[in-house]
Amino acid sequence: MLLHDADHKKRDILFFSLPYLTVYVAFMVFPVVYGFYLSFFDWNILSTKVFVGLKNYVEAFSDPEFLSSFFHTIQFVVISTPLIIVVGFIMALIAVRPTKTGRISETVFFLPYMLSTSVVGTLWAWIFQKNYGLANQLLKSVGLSPLGWLTDPSIAMTSIIIATLWWTAGFNMILFSAGMKQIPEEIYDAAKIDGAGSFTTLTKITIPLLRDTSLLVLVLQIIASFKVFGQVYVMTGGGPYGTTRVLVQYVYKTGFSYFRLGYASAMSILLFMVILLVSVIQFLRKPDETQ
Amino acid sequence: MKRMTGLAIALLLLVSTVSVGAQNVQKPLEITFWSLFTGGDGEFFDAMVKEFNASQNEIVMKTDTVKFDNYYTKLTAALAARTAPDVVVMHQDRLSTFVPSGVLLPLDAYAQRAGIDLSTFEQAPLNNCKIDNKLYAIPLDVHPIIMYCNLDLFAKAGITKLPETLSELFTAAETIQKKTGAEGIAADNTTATYKAYTLTRMFLSMLMEQGVSVFNADNTKANFNNDAGVKAYQALSDMVNKYKVTPKGLDYDSSVADFRLGKAGIHFNGVWVTGLFEQQPGLNFIAVKFPALFGTNAAWAGSHTFAIPAQKSIDEKKVMGAMKFIDWMTNHGYLWAKAGHVPTRKTAVDTKEFKSLPHRADYADAAKYVFPTPPTSKWPQCYDTISDSLEESIALNRDAKTALTRMEQTINEILKK
Amino acid sequence: MKKPFDILGKLFIALLIVLWLAPLIWLVITSLKSENTVMSDTLSLVFTPTIENYRKAFASTLLGRWMLNSLTVAVVTTILTVLIDSAMAYVLARIPFRGRKALFIFILAGMMIPFEVLIIQLYLEFTTLGLANTLAAVILPRLALPIGVFILTQFFRSIPLVLEEAAFIDGASRFTVFRTIILPLSKSAVFAVAIIAFINAWNDFLWPLVAISSSEKYTITVGIANFQGTHGTEYSLIMAGALLASVPQIIMYLLFRKNIVKSIAMTGIKE
Repeated sequence: MLLHDADHKKRDILFFSLPYLTVYVAFMVFPVVYGFYLSFFDWNILSTKVFVGLKNYVEAFSDPEFLSSFFHTIQFVVISTPLIIVVGFIMALIAVRPTKTGRISETVFFLPYMLSTSVVGTLWAWIFQKNYGLANQLLKSVGLSPLGWLTDPSIAMTSIIIATLWWTAGFNMILFSAGMKQIPEEIYDAAKIDGAGSFTTLTKITIPLLRDTSLLVLVLQIIASFKVFGQVYVMTGGGPYGTTRVLVQYVYKTGFSYFRLGYASAMSILLFMVILLVSVIQFLRKPDETQ
Repeated sequence: MKRMTGLAIALLLLVSTVSVGAQNVQKPLEITFWSLFTGGDGEFFDAMVKEFNASQNEIVMKTDTVKFDNYYTKLTAALAARTAPDVVVMHQDRLSTFVPSGVLLPLDAYAQRAGIDLSTFEQAPLNNCKIDNKLYAIPLDVHPIIMYCNLDLFAKAGITKLPETLSELFTAAETIQKKTGAEGIAADNTTATYKAYTLTRMFLSMLMEQGVSVFNADNTKANFNNDAGVKAYQALSDMVNKYKVTPKGLDYDSSVADFRLGKAGIHFNGVWVTGLFEQQPGLNFIAVKFPALFGTNAAWAGSHTFAIPAQKSIDEKKVMGAMKFIDWMTNHGYLWAKAGHVPTRKTAVDTKEFKSLPHRADYADAAKYVFPTPPTSKWPQCYDTISDSLEESIALNRDAKTALTRMEQTINEILKK
Repeated sequence: MKKPFDILGKLFIALLIVLWLAPLIWLVITSLKSENTVMSDTLSLVFTPTIENYRKAFASTLLGRWMLNSLTVAVVTTILTVLIDSAMAYVLARIPFRGRKALFIFILAGMMIPFEVLIIQLYLEFTTLGLANTLAAVILPRLALPIGVFILTQFFRSIPLVLEEAAFIDGASRFTVFRTIILPLSKSAVFAVAIIAFINAWNDFLWPLVAISSSEKYTITVGIANFQGTHGTEYSLIMAGALLASVPQIIMYLLFRKNIVKSIAMTGIKE
């Protein structure tokens, strides 16, 4: 293709890609492979490793704590994903308009995403605090009885989802509004001439044309939700009695508090496989990007 | 001119003596140290270390404090990598997790060389630091669970006698709740920043009061699914579910805050909050031994100890420096008692400083009977699991048999692995 | 007919904005209250503000130090990520060779790896390397940013080949072309990757929590989590700390809002 191609090609490929590949292999690929290896051992970091075959995997499927953590994670994914996507989409409809309101909305809606997990978790733990938090103060001021936002097992997960919604909906808004901006203005103009109302335009034009964006948002959101940890760790510590404990937290606890590293690795691999499965859907859907 | 020369010579002399003097002073030995004291007792501990550093000029302690729930994570990793600091604080109940792997130094010989007279220690907590007859840690304190009572609320409710039996406890709590509107008993029963450990501590105390240990003799099976367990569980469950004197869903931090702000009549917690409560203006309270709810006095108690990690190569000078630090700290246990803890050394208890502290005398003899931690490396996980399990069963108001059978199964499963 | 909907719509937008701002306003308000005011049973909106909490947050923690650490980590991570990722993207976009497609997939697969599950293995690795408890340990695993390579590769491909060909005819090396033509033309994509790397690095929580064990090396996220644990229910103090920890991001956001938004958008659409 290029005149220059023949000379130094190999050398240049190495020169340009070696730094990336080094860190990539050393700190991402290797840990995955090493974790896979460890998952076949019984090891408490201070002892010698004992090969146990598939025992750790078998244990996971009969360990009620793993199963419940997995279930809570799925629960979180299933409830939070549509919510965060729909709210993000509504925000995009507001923010995409080239008005002052649009600009202000965009600024406000995205602002929480800039905050770190620990700040978001700390803030919402305080908002949901039982006696003095904002949520219950507001309920009390309108004559309702206060709720155990983080201490009642039937709503604790919902509280975590509310905090997550506030924190991350803005991210999806940006993706959606970027997609909306790519829809040619002429299509809307034509629809207007045909007398289509704004609801028709939304369902017949905007939503169908955002299919690719929506799929991307969906996949990114599901992956992110499967990895939920920080806000749970800070807000409820997995409580009340483990009803909000999620997978990453259980892996962390098993690995770092009880030092069952082989077992923790096996659970990590299982989580990885689930995420892989979700991601494959995205790649199957968009083969053109890997040309 | 002459005077000027004289002055110059004098100055020169002065400078040279100063610089010679400076050369003679040795650079102090720097010893690294990890502790886990944050919040209430953290300030007292930091002040103590500061005082030790100021008290002599051979050793400088360099302290790093890590929050409790991350502490053992970091410590274990560091011990495995042999990158741990020179001295560490360790809960006595964690020793059996670490000692079998050979990551801690046996201290008998060093204690002797450093001239630490072990007979000045209370023997129960000291013996708890021995594994296979070797001393692996030196106890700094014992911290039993005790009962705090808000005297103003007691007076307001017209109660003149501190509760000593189970029925007195519930009656007092109900009366306070009815007459003052305050919480009867602030005892955490929900996980937030911490698990509901108070439930576990009360449960273990009540088992001890009935002379029953939590595991069987060889630590292979749970030993609480019996009459004693039923009584203990029922008491906890009644407190929350039947008498409703403890709000459901109370977490640790809130229970402390409630008592501190005068919004609870009775509070169960470790001694470590005594210092914190004393700093609260307007809080008129008393701290007493965990009541003998089932006949005899006994209480769960933890113990903070000092241990010395095995390094890649042992630096005798640092180990001896560390021993000196440990000696000083245990001898000055009355400073630590300001936070609420009970000193383990008679030399610290028999001081006028200790005796002048209020409340402490009421629970000081708790040091004589520390909770005998089951010597299994599974204990930390069991302790967590018991907390989760009690929290769940009480929240769901399960009957004692169901609750204890479930808990027994989970614990046996852990002990089997 | 259209009017009531308009008003309803405006109300809805206003409500949403208020809902999204309320937690932040509550954060600021709490941080300005004294502890006793915070622990009152009623919603006290009228109170005497105090900066005592801020003074105490600074005095009782290494907040300044932690911020400096976070800044160091974030800036170094950003610069190195941009350099390493753009070089990689250049190969994928411009140097054809057998197996390039496979390499691209191999790299994109990294997007699927949940960083959280690598923590234990990474810890063991860094301990072996003797880099545990260093800021380098926080930085290194973040440098390979697959989404960054993806954005840059897509962008480089959109640059017309003519420009480079002219330079090659003049005898320029690939490095020269990369440095003087490709990078300057890709400012927006490079900036996008820089922003993503910076936000990631600044907000990273789990890995620094595990990797760093001495308080003077904490990043701000770890420090704040620790601070919260230490102060139990002193909410006003905790909120002051949380707010102080967020100031750099908020300033950055207000300065570079447009660029930040654009960079997020780039992860979603093809150029």
